[in-house]
Amino acid sequence: MTAAADAPGGQVPSDGDTAPVIEARNVVKRFGGTVAVDDVSITVARGEIHGLVGENGAGKSTLMRVLAGVLAPNEGEVHVDGALLDPGDTRAALDAGVSLVHQELSLVPEMTVAENILLGSTPTWSGFIDGREQRRVAAEALKEIGVAVDLDEPIARLSVALRQFVEIARAIARKPQVLILDEPTATLTPAETEYLLDMLTRLAGRGLAIVYISHRIPEIFAICNRVTVLRDGSLVASKGIEDLTPESVVEYMVGRDLQLDRESRRQDPKIGEVVLSARGLRAPGVNDIDLDVRAGEIVGLGGLVGAGRTELVRAMLGADPRTGGETTITLQGRTRRIVSYRAAIAAGVAYIPEERRSDGLALTMTVVDNIALPNRSALSRAFVLQRRRIAEFATSLAEAVNLRPPEIHREVGQYSGGNQQKVVLAKWLGREPDVIVLDEPTRGVDVGAKVEIHRLIRELADQGAAVLVVSSDLPELLELSDTIHVVRDGRIVGVLSAGEAEETTVMALASGQREVDAA
Amino acid sequence: MSQTQTDPRPPSEEQADLSTSDGLVARVRLILSRRTEGRAVALLMVVWVFTLLFEPLVWTSYEVTLGRIALVGLVALGLTAVILMGELDLAVASTLAVSGVIMASFDSLAVGVLAALATGLIVGAVNAFFVVVVGINSFIATLGMLFFLRGAAFVISGEAPVRIADVDAGIAFGQPVIGPLTPRMLLFIVAFVALYIFLSHVRVGREFYAVGGNRQAARDAGIPVVRRVFTGFMISGFISALAGVINTLERTAADPTAGSTVLLASFAAAIIGGVLLNGGRGSVFGTLIGASALGMLQVALTLSGVQVDVQNIVIGSVLLLAVITDPSSLRAAAVTARGLFRSRSERQPTG
Repeated sequence: MTAAADAPGGQVPSDGDTAPVIEARNVVKRFGGTVAVDDVSITVARGEIHGLVGENGAGKSTLMRVLAGVLAPNEGEVHVDGALLDPGDTRAALDAGVSLVHQELSLVPEMTVAENILLGSTPTWSGFIDGREQRRVAAEALKEIGVAVDLDEPIARLSVALRQFVEIARAIARKPQVLILDEPTATLTPAETEYLLDMLTRLAGRGLAIVYISHRIPEIFAICNRVTVLRDGSLVASKGIEDLTPESVVEYMVGRDLQLDRESRRQDPKIGEVVLSARGLRAPGVNDIDLDVRAGEIVGLGGLVGAGRTELVRAMLGADPRTGGETTITLQGRTRRIVSYRAAIAAGVAYIPEERRSDGLALTMTVVDNIALPNRSALSRAFVLQRRRIAEFATSLAEAVNLRPPEIHREVGQYSGGNQQKVVLAKWLGREPDVIVLDEPTRGVDVGAKVEIHRLIRELADQGAAVLVVSSDLPELLELSDTIHVVRDGRIVGVLSAGEAEETTVMALASGQREVDAA
Repeated sequence: MSQTQTDPRPPSEEQADLSTSDGLVARVRLILSRRTEGRAVALLMVVWVFTLLFEPLVWTSYEVTLGRIALVGLVALGLTAVILMGELDLAVASTLAVSGVIMASFDSLAVGVLAALATGLIVGAVNAFFVVVVGINSFIATLGMLFFLRGAAFVISGEAPVRIADVDAGIAFGQPVIGPLTPRMLLFIVAFVALYIFLSHVRVGREFYAVGGNRQAARDAGIPVVRRVFTGFMISGFISALAGVINTLERTAADPTAGSTVLLASFAAAIIGGVLLNGGRGSVFGTLIGASALGMLQVALTLSGVQVDVQNIVIGSVLLLAVITDPSSLRAAAVTARGLFRSRSERQPTG
């Protein structure tokens, strides 16, 4: 199963046998006040595939960017082949043989495959591009990874999966010693994923050191020799794959003290009839979803980033086009089909999207203007906005959400993230929605504001609203939800009630470690 | 990495067929499908047909037509280098005027020409400095230069045309040297060939596309983005100054108001030629075709006695048509329309 076993030289990558190709020592990286990577050391040997796992925001991507010289660490150093790497110097890292396959595709869309593969190291003959050499090197790199694509095709005309492979070919063309891949399978189909995993095993067999970052536990167990688990920026485990089980990896990833969160759970929520209901919902990234939310109930949608939760919610509300299925909202015995986002709003839905900066708030407008925005018709008489009524209305809402400082004539952009989110909530609270849908309601919000926001969400449910919350924050999900639906690859893979849900069960479902399907 | 951000378009089957097939027709179709000059060619065809039918003078007095194309086209070529990097240079017309005036204010014609060309390079460097070192948006930075240089041209010239030192040289410059080709046209051809080779076969020039297409990727790949932007603006400045020199020589006097129509015409030529204003896409070949179509159209309209104002209406319409029919503009427009609808429905929940 391990790559090393197939390696021609029979190299067995373990700590004693081979000297590490790349070694990070006591790396610390801070962004402002938050510590993204906290004193992490990691070594990767020739021929080794080293899995790097952790929850969203555990610091995997940051650590990898430090390794590749994209970011300079605040403390600690990176050695390649025993030589100290200049911190934060991408070029030096490339020259030392560290190649990074970016999570965001970093290709130039209008340039050809061959040009992109050699971008930055274009072969020239006294300044003029040596087209033949360029094509030769590019073809060789593509052959190495076994992918056939027309060298003269502009990147813009390739599929996402092919672009991902071109990106890998580019890393290979630099003849690296260390290849770092950040979630390379996020956009690939199962067949493409399998192909990629085989390819990595083959490359490792030829002595390449690979750092493989993934959320997907089965992939880790399919190819890695060693696994390092990060949690909240710290290294919690670094072990040979033979000493780990999928269960133990998930436990390392989650491993929080679970006591605290329990206490604030809702006791005996009064749950009524089904209000928001989706049947057979289909859309890009959403596969045949049935979902019910009842009056007074908080339903949590858990899963990994990219699992299709946001797509599900948007399709459900008609905010993005669907390809099949339908959504209904039933209030006071009257059932309405939700055919468009307008219809959803008219039926009493409040939707607070993930990107509140772009979608939810006008940052350069004042608090009062933002709050009044969705409530204009109620606050105007014959199309004339009534200033005083609006101000009173906004003040009472700002108090309700505990906005600090409660200055309603301030620009929203001047408030902190947590207070901005409170303004978003206040804006919709004013309409007393019957259905409220929140996507990542507390992302980037400090702890104090988080507690306030949770309190508000519970209050809404207590008043009888049907609440649907998308959250990647596991403790939050467990704390808020009465029912948790776990989404993976656009499907609901598990439904858990508040009592039976544990962080480990949710994570196991979300990462596909439990209930692995045909892929 | 969320799946929402990825492009859901699957690779088209037709495309796969094309790349594997060896048929000549398929090969040609594949190459054509990768070119960006399609609309410019189509427009040029239309202009050809119309002029052949209604205004054959455009063809018989081809010296006039070629002169017009060279006038519009030269500045547009330099501009293309800047637009490819996703930047704008609004100062081209003012650079043309000020370099002409500087040239005329020297007693020696040779020194004047050198000084004018040096001015162009310096203006380009200053523009690039503001854009990549200070970090001002290139629209604003070069807009400032537009006014500054136009003002400078008036101040240096004393608000009146300045005669050049050697009027005879100027008159000689206007005469054809090879066949019907005047030095202006020859210089235009030289500039075109040089830029064509630079942007498609020289590494530095080819990297302009990377700088404009995906600047972060260019940086990640170790391309010195700042130096590339300097080079681009200096090319644009130099070519604008060259156009100023040519204009001044042909008229035997430097006019501080020179080139007032050049700015928009050169932008129009580049855009009709398929150069994407956001950078990364286009070619000088496209700009050449765009300039040819535009130049012929102008000459045809002038010869038919159409007023200048009406000509502007026609050219404006052609420009808009060119941009609207750009497939990527169409996509962008569709996205914008969707976004508009979405945000509007979010704001006006008439509940």
